[in-house]
Amino acid sequence: MTAAFLDITGASKSFGSATVLDGVDLAVGQAEFISLLGPSGCGKTTLLRIVAGLMTPDTGKVVLDGEEITRRPPHRRDIGVVFQNYALFPHLTVAENVAFGLKARGAPKDTIAPTVSRFLSLVQMSAFADRSIKALSGGQQQRVAVARALAVGPKLLLLDEPFSALDRKLREAMQIDLRRILREVGTTAIFVTHDQDEALTMSDRIAVMYRGRIEQLDTPAEIYHRPTTPFALDFVGLSSRLPGTVVSEDQGTVAVETPAGTVRAPGNFIPGSKVLVGVRPERIMLGGSGENVIQAKLTDAVFQGARVQLHFEAPEGGRLMVEAHEAPAGLAPGSTLSLGWREADTLLYPAPAEEAAA
Amino acid sequence: MSAARRLDPVLLLAAPAVLYLAIVYGLPLLFLLGRSLFGAGGLASFGSFFADPFSWIVLGNTLRSAALVTLVCLVIGYPTALVLARAGGLVQAAILVAIILPLSVGVVVKAFAWQIVLRRDGIVSQIMTGIGLWSEPQRLLFTETGLVIGAANIFVPFMILPIYSVLKLVDPRLGEAAATLGASPVYRFFKVALPLSLPGIVTGIAFVFSMAASMYVIPSLVIGDRFQTLATLTGRSFLFMRNEQLGSTTAVVLLALTVAIVVASSWLSRRLGGAS
Repeated sequence: MTAAFLDITGASKSFGSATVLDGVDLAVGQAEFISLLGPSGCGKTTLLRIVAGLMTPDTGKVVLDGEEITRRPPHRRDIGVVFQNYALFPHLTVAENVAFGLKARGAPKDTIAPTVSRFLSLVQMSAFADRSIKALSGGQQQRVAVARALAVGPKLLLLDEPFSALDRKLREAMQIDLRRILREVGTTAIFVTHDQDEALTMSDRIAVMYRGRIEQLDTPAEIYHRPTTPFALDFVGLSSRLPGTVVSEDQGTVAVETPAGTVRAPGNFIPGSKVLVGVRPERIMLGGSGENVIQAKLTDAVFQGARVQLHFEAPEGGRLMVEAHEAPAGLAPGSTLSLGWREADTLLYPAPAEEAAA
Repeated sequence: MSAARRLDPVLLLAAPAVLYLAIVYGLPLLFLLGRSLFGAGGLASFGSFFADPFSWIVLGNTLRSAALVTLVCLVIGYPTALVLARAGGLVQAAILVAIILPLSVGVVVKAFAWQIVLRRDGIVSQIMTGIGLWSEPQRLLFTETGLVIGAANIFVPFMILPIYSVLKLVDPRLGEAAATLGASPVYRFFKVALPLSLPGIVTGIAFVFSMAASMYVIPSLVIGDRFQTLATLTGRSFLFMRNEQLGSTTAVVLLALTVAIVVASSWLSRRLGGAS
């Protein structure tokens, strides 16, 4: 395998006694779109700033396109950044903003105007070239910020929660647009977000971050269907989670006693181990088919447009969530139903430590 | 509600200040204007003022010393404001105290202090001869250089504070964005920080220039009578020469000068501010 385009090894950063980044390794391929997904304070923005050169790691190395850049100042890195608040220059027009990087790098005068107009048309902002930044809406500013960052032809584009200030409809449109633009330009991109839907929609791969570490790095489908840690299970998508104890193990299949009843799951745990069982809501079938079938009482049905979210409570106290296309006729809160799912769809983890479970 | 037509009751809060200024400032100003225009010489006194070559020397002294003081304040004040805006917590508080506290020391006291510092055997002269830059002790006191140094010291807070208050509001992400676009620190300063702080610079220049053009105590103590400015000439006219016509004429010329500077700079500041 060839060396990664961007290779981060052992990056750590502390502020005082708080460790924000704890030995992160990340390899990104050329033209890949990677999301750093995690809650606030997980270190994703710190990692982004280290890559951009706006911050120096305490330990670790950053290599871009075969060159070590760990301590190189940002203006000599060739890395574009789209900031969360866009950070457009308020004293310049839209076109001047896009031209800023080209001028700063001393691009030949006669190439600047064509490049600017090419990137403005790429983000569909040509009509606004001479406008003041203050006259633009949030979505338009966002497009200008992308055009400005891409116009200098960076090796790598970093995006720090660029859609967080936009309303939902616009955000979804911009997500699709940004993917199209990046494919056209062929730029490698790292995208920081706390929005799992955004990460699942846009990324080639997602790095789920938690407490300064990368919990899981995988394709969106793998992250969703095979989260490797309880945190990834919890943070990406919805799930039912049941604490339990392994009662028997047989050739890679364990039986776990949970408050909802005994369930079978693929895994290798010695009997007596405390574990956490997880199931995605769309994997649970109403009426009960599959290896795992339990009885539970409907407590609530939440209408969500295309789907209905059904909340159940097992007799012993376990809670489960099911997503269906429509609520079965005549189902009222209080009625008991059998729920079933396949053994292969059952996710199994060592029980998280107390503090993590809290 | 038809509030647009009715007087906003909040405006009444300004009444004490308006009344005060009208009585202690507006009225005397009117008297002064009236005397300069309709006094003994009337408008002709302006004609004779501008016909006198000595008036032009005074005018030149006033404008030149004020411009030099402003320049020195800008050169010293801008970097200080930049540091102040970037500093955090205790450092910022310490610098602010260091800038604001000296304002509580009277101008007379500071001017006297500069008399001591700028003497032939003063500390400046001793240092310059000590490090060999001057071959023999020199007196800066009673020179225009001494005046500019002393006045700049007294007025520099009025340059720092407006620039600082504008710089403080400039998003630090803008500098970072410029850096990631490939702009060197120098390019960043001239294309981002400087243009965005122009409104503060204009305000600072207006403050310092108008104060330096009308300073009276500092030139009286640091340079003496042989260097006349509009302000010292006004004072002399009233106090020593008993020439109220000349005094009110020079006072009005000085007033017109400073009003023009303040109006022009606030217009410029609004225009530049509008662009940011």
